[in-house]
Amino acid sequence: MRTRIRTLALTAGATVALAAGAAQADVTLLFWPGPESEAMQQVIDAFNEGPGAEAGFEVDQLLFSRQGYFDKQIADLAAGSTEFDLSLVTTYTLGRYAPFLLPIDDYLPDDVGDLYAPVALDSLSFDGSLYGVPTDISAHFAFYRSDLMDELLANPDWQARYAEIAEAHLGEAMAPVPPAAWTWDDYVATTLFFTQALNPDSPTRFGAALQLKNLIFNIMIWQGTMVSHGGDWMTADGEVTVDTAAAARGLEIFQTIIDAGATPPGSINYEFGEANQAFGTGQSATMLQWNAAYNIVNDPEQMPVTAGNIGVAPMPAGPEGNRTHTHSLGIGLNAASENADQAGQFLAYLASEEAMRIYGAAGGTPPMPRVLADMADERPEFPLVGEFVDQYGFVVTGGTAATAVPMYEVLAETFSSVWGGQNTIEAALADAQTRIEELMAQ
Amino acid sequence: MARQDTAGSVALDRHGTGRRFRVTRRRRDALMLAAPLVVFLGLWLGFPFLTNLVYSVSEVNFETLRAPSFIGLDNYARAIQDSAFWAAMGFSLRFAVAATLAQVLLGLVIALALRPLLVRHKALMALILLPLMISPALIGVMYRLILNEFVGVVPQYLAMVGLYPNLLGPDWVFATVVAIEVLQWTPFAILLLFTALQNIPTELYDAARVDGAGPWQCFWRITLPLLVPGLAITAFVRFIDSFRVFDHIFVLTGGGPGSLTTSVSIYIYRSFFQQQQLGSAVATSMVLLVLSLAALYASMRLMLRKGEA
Repeated sequence: MRTRIRTLALTAGATVALAAGAAQADVTLLFWPGPESEAMQQVIDAFNEGPGAEAGFEVDQLLFSRQGYFDKQIADLAAGSTEFDLSLVTTYTLGRYAPFLLPIDDYLPDDVGDLYAPVALDSLSFDGSLYGVPTDISAHFAFYRSDLMDELLANPDWQARYAEIAEAHLGEAMAPVPPAAWTWDDYVATTLFFTQALNPDSPTRFGAALQLKNLIFNIMIWQGTMVSHGGDWMTADGEVTVDTAAAARGLEIFQTIIDAGATPPGSINYEFGEANQAFGTGQSATMLQWNAAYNIVNDPEQMPVTAGNIGVAPMPAGPEGNRTHTHSLGIGLNAASENADQAGQFLAYLASEEAMRIYGAAGGTPPMPRVLADMADERPEFPLVGEFVDQYGFVVTGGTAATAVPMYEVLAETFSSVWGGQNTIEAALADAQTRIEELMAQ
Repeated sequence: MARQDTAGSVALDRHGTGRRFRVTRRRRDALMLAAPLVVFLGLWLGFPFLTNLVYSVSEVNFETLRAPSFIGLDNYARAIQDSAFWAAMGFSLRFAVAATLAQVLLGLVIALALRPLLVRHKALMALILLPLMISPALIGVMYRLILNEFVGVVPQYLAMVGLYPNLLGPDWVFATVVAIEVLQWTPFAILLLFTALQNIPTELYDAARVDGAGPWQCFWRITLPLLVPGLAITAFVRFIDSFRVFDHIFVLTGGGPGSLTTSVSIYIYRSFFQQQQLGSAVATSMVLLVLSLAALYASMRLMLRKGEA
């Protein structure tokens, strides 16, 4: 009996010790499961073995599921939870989180501005303070089938047909240009040429694979058209400028492609995955897409039709040049943290080139142009991400505000109604302008 | 004052007001047994309800969750005046009516057709119920693939017969989301209606046959009239469930194109989490609760009246 009691006591003691050990990390990072947290774990391991061990504390991750992640996180932050010290922040949700986060400028080394692309730091800044260490950057590419574009640029018959189609639908006999030099007019003309309904000899059924679902991320892709024509959400003084000629022109560009049948009819409900399917199965010749798609459409196992024939160009140019929406994922500091100093030490390490090299090698897209350029062998698209973000990246005015997501929601709903044929461009822009002004007033 | 009478019941006199009611020992025991559950429900439903009530008359966001400021009925006025709310209500209503009718009719036909088989092989019901065990959000993800125009099964079959409808486009999206709801939840209707069918005494059919009634007469004169309560309950449960549809529509269309498939639940979710209008979202929920209670009351009265008849 005594032996049994002793065994039970030992077992209980061991269980308690193990449980305490598991929860003993001094700094907890709230994150979502997936490639980002797996890459982050590599950085954390390096930190725990190096600077963390020297400083006498450890960092651990606490993972929430991705479904509704941001809703759960905002609820915990608002409730003043001390269960985590660091958490995921994004450009478009930053303004919502900022009241529950600490500015981190004082925790980071002075040379951080030299390491990061400026737009990456802007994308996690709010009211003049930095609220997150950028860890992943996202931008947009104009993907195209390099084999088809090579043929178009070399084949006089194709070029003659291209000119005919452009004249018939765009009012001007245009000549094809290399994708790196595409204007929006060139891009539209190219999508029309590669549409079988307009050009029965086209090797693809559609020229484009637009993403038109009522979804905020699709507006992020679209707004490159608006900004490249000089548009923005608002002025620096907060005057809403959605109902402008630039936004109208941006909507017209998409509408021309839709009306011509140059994007699949199902595009109205496309998001990231569906567009990749349309492009990767050889149905569409081009795609305006997030840089993360590169590894998918260029993977011979996933997309045998397109792999090896993928070209990447900047988003087509408007009068203001090539512009791509840019946003970041990053790590912010919980205002309720009881370990802010230690968490700050980890953030300082995270903002170093060493940490970002580990993160990039493990699958992340660190927004440090030098790190991205050095990884060209493993990730051929990385130097372009660095270049495009650095040269063409923008964050719309108000893009990190607390109202950013609600504004994206308004744009997604009103513009989706245009693309679905239930509303005119003029009415949708006027509606969006009014609703966003109301949001700002609230 | 309380006194115990000889029959073991307790008569309570409320402060000499003359109003008296009698609590039997059995009733008292029943109340005591039910008390823990009532207290539990009171805490777990009552507290959130009161919190929602406070938020619905307050200006509140995630920053001011602990210190909402009272603004009266402004949130209710905003919700009622919002055309998007009524559009969402309209969609939910149309969706619920269409989905419920289809589920009940289909459920009835299948329950009748499979009844002999289900009586002999009860395990078959488990197979029929399989769709209910899949999360509606997962159903949405599945149909994103199934309906994909390039790799999806449904468009491929339709293309074989020369049809190329854009099933998630403005013209077809309503029918598509209703069909998905019907495919997932008709098994539930089958289960309820099969159970109701089993409760109809077989003697009635025997007697009818002796009197020369055929299958159609048996159905119209015996099965259908006796199935009315079962049909009403099935329709009621499915209507409520369909009215608050969220998952598969949100995954498939995000409430679009435009706002064509924005249900009330999606509208409330967006107001609360994405537009951060917490007070307005909660007020909308309260309006919905009142409307649901009214519908529940009307339906129950109707069912009770039918039952009495």
